[in-house]
Amino acid sequence: MFERFTGSAREVVRGAAARAERGGESHVAAEHLLRQLLDGSGTPGAVALAAAGVDSEERRAGVVRGLDEARRRGGLTKSETEALAGIGIDVAAVVDRVESAHGPGALARRRAWRRGRTRFDADAKAVLERSLRIALGRGDKAIGDQHILLALAAAPGIPAEVLADHGATYAAIEAALPAVQRAG
Amino acid sequence: MSDATELAERAGGADPREGLRAVAALRRLLEQLEAVQVRSARHQGWSWQEVAAELGVSRQAVHKKHGRR
Repeated sequence: MFERFTGSAREVVRGAAARAERGGESHVAAEHLLRQLLDGSGTPGAVALAAAGVDSEERRAGVVRGLDEARRRGGLTKSETEALAGIGIDVAAVVDRVESAHGPGALARRRAWRRGRTRFDADAKAVLERSLRIALGRGDKAIGDQHILLALAAAPGIPAEVLADHGATYAAIEAALPAVQRAG
Repeated sequence: MSDATELAERAGGADPREGLRAVAALRRLLEQLEAVQVRSARHQGWSWQEVAAELGVSRQAVHKKHGRR
């Protein structure tokens, strides 16, 4: 699959893995892919993200904050948090209690990195596979970072939810692509 | 529909989607809480046997899931 990735897509994949390693985590998650995409500039993915609404340093910081908050909640999305509120569980209160006993970010902690290569977790793998299907579906010959961005926005989960909170829904990103591909 | 009515319907309603979502979310929260508590117990010197006994599972199961910590 990777031989079909463009330079920009490879950069996102490599950068996401480097982020996970720097953070001492054993697995690359979908959120690492999005964090890496947010740092890009001039690539089709970066241009599409800006065109879909994440177009300033402030908004990019807002997306990062959204990812950080979700991580602090132990990876629960807002809709999961609401579902739990529906049965009487206040996730914010749970997070506060756990953090006061076990330290800040206690629920955010992931398994520590061990020797060997950093691996992609199931969600991140699914994102990369989906980016291939999306590229094929659109009749694009190579997989660029814009396809990874679409794949992140396509599946329910934290990256899609945080992106949509900032206007970058799948539809908005898709609508931005023709101009991007002409430019790129 | 007013906010109050909507809230009441959601909380007491019989919509399976809401209920199932809550169960799935609870499972995820449970996994995170378990990881926090097992890590804490191990840091405080608990044996796998002791951790397993409190969780009500076998020592092998807890070790396989949380091993090397």
